[in-house]
Amino acid sequence: MGLMYARQIRSELIDEIKNDLVAQIRIVALLAKGDIERKLSPLADISRSRVTLIDASGRVKADSEKDLAEMDSHLNRSEIQEARIKGQGEAVRYSRTLGVDMLYIAFPITEGSEVRGYIRFARPLFEVKKAVDQQYSYLYKCILLAIIPSFIIAFLLARKLISPIEKVISYTHKVCSGEASGTLLIESNDDVGQLEKDINRMVREQHERVRAAYEEKAKLEAAFASMAEGVLVINNQNRIEFLNRSLKDILRNEGIADILDKTPLEAFRNVELQDALDLFRDSGGPVLREISLGQETPIILDVTISAVHGLPQEEQKTMMVFHDVTRLKKLEKIREDFVANVTHEIKTPLTAIIGFIETLEEGAIKEEVTAKKFLHIISENAHRLGRLVDDLLILSSIELGEITLRFESISIANVIDSVLPMFETKAAEKSLTVDKWISDGLPFIWSDRDRMAQILVNILDNAVKFTPSGGKISISAVQDDSGFVVVKVTDTGMGIQKSEIPRLGERFYRADKTRSRELGGTGLGLSIVKHLMKAHNGSIDIESQVGRGTTVSLAFPINRLQKA
Amino acid sequence: MDEKRHTSTHYEKELREVKQRLLYLGALVEKAIELATEALVDRNTELARKVICDDNVIDQLDVEIEEKCIRMLALRQPTARDLRFIATAIKINGHLERIGDMAANIAEKAIILSEEPPMKPYIDIPRMAEIARSMIKESLDALVKEDTALARKVRMEDETIDNLNEQVFRELLTFMMEDPKKIHRALIIMQISKSLERISDHAVGIADMVMYMVTGKIVRHGPTCQASE
Repeated sequence: MGLMYARQIRSELIDEIKNDLVAQIRIVALLAKGDIERKLSPLADISRSRVTLIDASGRVKADSEKDLAEMDSHLNRSEIQEARIKGQGEAVRYSRTLGVDMLYIAFPITEGSEVRGYIRFARPLFEVKKAVDQQYSYLYKCILLAIIPSFIIAFLLARKLISPIEKVISYTHKVCSGEASGTLLIESNDDVGQLEKDINRMVREQHERVRAAYEEKAKLEAAFASMAEGVLVINNQNRIEFLNRSLKDILRNEGIADILDKTPLEAFRNVELQDALDLFRDSGGPVLREISLGQETPIILDVTISAVHGLPQEEQKTMMVFHDVTRLKKLEKIREDFVANVTHEIKTPLTAIIGFIETLEEGAIKEEVTAKKFLHIISENAHRLGRLVDDLLILSSIELGEITLRFESISIANVIDSVLPMFETKAAEKSLTVDKWISDGLPFIWSDRDRMAQILVNILDNAVKFTPSGGKISISAVQDDSGFVVVKVTDTGMGIQKSEIPRLGERFYRADKTRSRELGGTGLGLSIVKHLMKAHNGSIDIESQVGRGTTVSLAFPINRLQKA
Repeated sequence: MDEKRHTSTHYEKELREVKQRLLYLGALVEKAIELATEALVDRNTELARKVICDDNVIDQLDVEIEEKCIRMLALRQPTARDLRFIATAIKINGHLERIGDMAANIAEKAIILSEEPPMKPYIDIPRMAEIARSMIKESLDALVKEDTALARKVRMEDETIDNLNEQVFRELLTFMMEDPKKIHRALIIMQISKSLERISDHAVGIADMVMYMVTGKIVRHGPTCQASE
């Protein structure tokens, strides 16, 4: 706009000067040619122009400023040409010598209808240039004046706009790195304020979500850690990714450790488990299997294999839940064995009794010797049945807590002394040596005298039964450091396999199935001992080496009151 | 093998698959020894038949693993570590298959013995079986962990089995001298004892191959051979 204005001013000024010059040149043109030539310099002075007189052929006849010799033909100049044709010519050209635009006005000098020459006025457009320059300088100043404050205003505005955004950026960076606390301070009500509000809400919700996730994770971890079942997660690379504490404990007992990042085969090398896993992968559905793990004391585990839901296809994970059912299986086995044993134990003497009675009925009764022998067998078997029922009754009443123990302070030496004579004949028959070693000044123990005697009878009975002829049985009683009187019965018998020892207290459990029955045991002796020891708050410990002998240690708590 | 990644994930997968199949074979074999011994001790012919029957699975797996290994040798042309692994896998595979056969043998003997009256309770045989089984377990653990110390330990345990084998031999000899009726049974038990001793030798073979795989040195026929003489 400024440029347009400058241009307009320029053309207006040029027009004005042109009109002025045209008026002057018309007056001058009325003069005779010779007069003009003579009065060239005053004319130039008055008109403040360079005055040039040119003849009809274009040759410069006179010039107010320049030497004629230097000047060439002016006929081709546009103002002269225009003057020749139109009667008046004009042109604006840049003068190199003056460094300014020149306005040329040319007029023909006529004599009648014949053109005799031309007069040309040339005026440097100093005023115009000055006016235009001034105009430009105004313009520049105006522009400058306009730009500076607008820059300042823009800067201020931008700062006002940007600073909250910068604040938001630094805040979100902090949120990302997790060191932000609190919320953004909302300073305005405009769009930025709205953005800040939204970010605050987003961060709040995010925090809430993260907190919820952590809480959920902690809950899960706590649940996994505290649950009795073992949990194991396998990733899509078939590698163990996670296992909980219970499983670690279960596996540590079996000597399996450090299984993270291994495949199940590398970790367990268990055929049943691998087969279950393969079945799960083939079928896709959950798989429930029973596996046994470990070598010396295998444990039985119920394994449930299922997929971990809610994960994308390429991150499929498999979860295995292990439930230790070893105890359950053992109890089941004991129960099964018990029923089988009871029926067997009852049936064997019964079969004998029935068989011999039938033989007697069929006529053997008439032969006195045979009949007597048979009757003896029948009576023996009936007694055996009786003993069995007695033992079972004792056992069940102890188990049911129906037997009340009459506790008193007793001397263990007394009880041993009262029991040992019962075995004298049996020991003598097998020519067994019986050693007794009781340390002096043993404290009294808190016990039921009769039950105590029963415990010792059962243990000694076993020792005598299972020690071959010529063997040795020793019984000792000492006080140990932890406040127990320990009675030890050692024999040089056949011994018991290590794996059998834990099962010895089970009803009807026999380490040597054939021998024991031959020897007339009911299979309940140790079971009764075990229960009675429990009732005494004592403990029983059996050590044995096959072929070498067995040592049974009975620990009775000392009576602290020390009263006889 | 597992730490470094191959550019071909398929190759990587094949190598891993061979290792997994080998371990599965190992697990089957361990189980076979356990069950064969159980069948012998408990005079359980049904279990013994199962062990003999299951040897087919072991044989099939043996063929499968060997084919996989040979295909890899042909197609992938493995070098360095992978080559050693595949060579090891082929040999371990052979050892395991032989062990499987031994277990089946023991099961067969168990069936024969169950038809005759028991001579005496088995004490040393189950112990030998247990040691042999743990030797296999340890040698395969050594393979998993690439643990040369564990592999060396297996070599040491072989002596225990050899001693037990001799002990069983002497004991059975006295039985045979006492009662000629027991000769048949004693001879069969001797064969079982020998089988278990052979199993332990195969376990040592596996351990040696693990040593080779990890260190690149063949340690077979090492100094213990002379020491045990």
